[in-house]
Amino acid sequence: MNFDVTFALSTVPTITGVMATTMSIAVASCAGAALLGFGLEIVRRMGRLPGFAMRFVIDFVRSTPVLAWLYFLYFVLPFYGIRLSALTVGVLGLSVYYSGYLAEVFKAGIDAIPNGQHEAARAVGLNRADTILFVLAPQMLRNIAAPMGNYFVSVLKATPYLAVIAVPEMLGRAFDIASETYRYAEPLTVAGLLFLMLALVVTYAVKQLEKRLLQAARR
Amino acid sequence: MLALSSPAAVEIAALNKWFGAFHVLQDVDLSAPKGSRIVICGPSGSGKSTLIRCINGLESYQRGTIRLEGCELGASRKETMLARRNTGMVFQSFNLFPHLSVLSNCTLALRRVASKPKKEAEEIALHYLERVKIPEQAHKYPAQLSGGQQQRVAIARALCLNPKLMLFDEPTSALDPEMVKEVLDVMVELAGDGMTMLCVTHEMGFAREVADQVVFMDQGRIVEMAPPATFFEAPANPRARLFLQKILH
Repeated sequence: MNFDVTFALSTVPTITGVMATTMSIAVASCAGAALLGFGLEIVRRMGRLPGFAMRFVIDFVRSTPVLAWLYFLYFVLPFYGIRLSALTVGVLGLSVYYSGYLAEVFKAGIDAIPNGQHEAARAVGLNRADTILFVLAPQMLRNIAAPMGNYFVSVLKATPYLAVIAVPEMLGRAFDIASETYRYAEPLTVAGLLFLMLALVVTYAVKQLEKRLLQAARR
Repeated sequence: MLALSSPAAVEIAALNKWFGAFHVLQDVDLSAPKGSRIVICGPSGSGKSTLIRCINGLESYQRGTIRLEGCELGASRKETMLARRNTGMVFQSFNLFPHLSVLSNCTLALRRVASKPKKEAEEIALHYLERVKIPEQAHKYPAQLSGGQQQRVAIARALCLNPKLMLFDEPTSALDPEMVKEVLDVMVELAGDGMTMLCVTHEMGFAREVADQVVFMDQGRIVEMAPPATFFEAPANPRARLFLQKILH
């Protein structure tokens, strides 16, 4: 069986039809994971007990498979009367899973800020929230643009997992075509190339962001 | 010397602090009347930086009291915040916010702590940047400035909140020699305006010119406190004498 380019091209519209969904899920999950991860990291720094609790949460989240999160949220929660749509579960699952990793990235980014910054913020009378928001967070972002970008690409590449809870997404759609036509090479190749393209776009965007942040630092 | 009608700018009584087993401050008593300029010196590890950091709550202490204009530090969170607001701190390593422009470094606390509108905050910031003689650098970033300029921005940033007391923790120690003077000049001017200043420094020329009291610390204690003329001409304490011999050649 030869690779049929015409057939491959014919699958493109079907697969790109769900590209918007894939992208929205990825963007929402990145935002969710970043916010949740930042929250975890901030609470982890609030003292011994919160620190211990958050370390447990972060390690727990990181050491469970993302599929387990999706299955749990989608199939187990309804037993307890909590029914979430497949899309919600998808975004929630990816957000929770990646928040653990991002919390660790944020930790490194905050640890790298000299202690003097913290002291200067206190010395001019900033309260804790303002210190985090206006002094620590911007410097943290500058420190971690590259690793954070890696995780954003990783979130994008994790969207095919959502096929298991019937979220329409690109790889799943490609596999549907394959099952119907018994031709696997073309649709899967198309899906793969589309993912590559999206990942390259995200990588490029992160590079640009990193460049701007570092430029700001050198100015 | 101490006016009885109004409380001293700083009143420290029986201050004790330990870092683990290390007794870094031992029964420190110090009183700084309003408008006084006190220079604190001593060998490294003598506790002078720790003392000054205790005064604006950057370090905690185990025993003793610190009162700023009668307001006891650490009595409550609110009083600590108030004490801090009335205190400006200048660090050895400047500690400017690198991601903010010079102007924003100065306006951040004005806007977030003093709740000033943007325009007013910028006017105040520019006023103080003029006082430290670098208004033209307002839109640059700290990394674009020399060490001396950065330290002057740090002084302006501290002055913006209109503090009643300025603390300097070795403000010229991290500077190249040719930049020391521009920072000291600003500090001399500030002293001339009647600002209460506590200054940890080894700039003995500055101490001679500006200080009304020189405090010499050794091993966590204040071992000598005297007007500069007395301190430099005839230090009573043998360790102070030794210290002066080493730094004044």
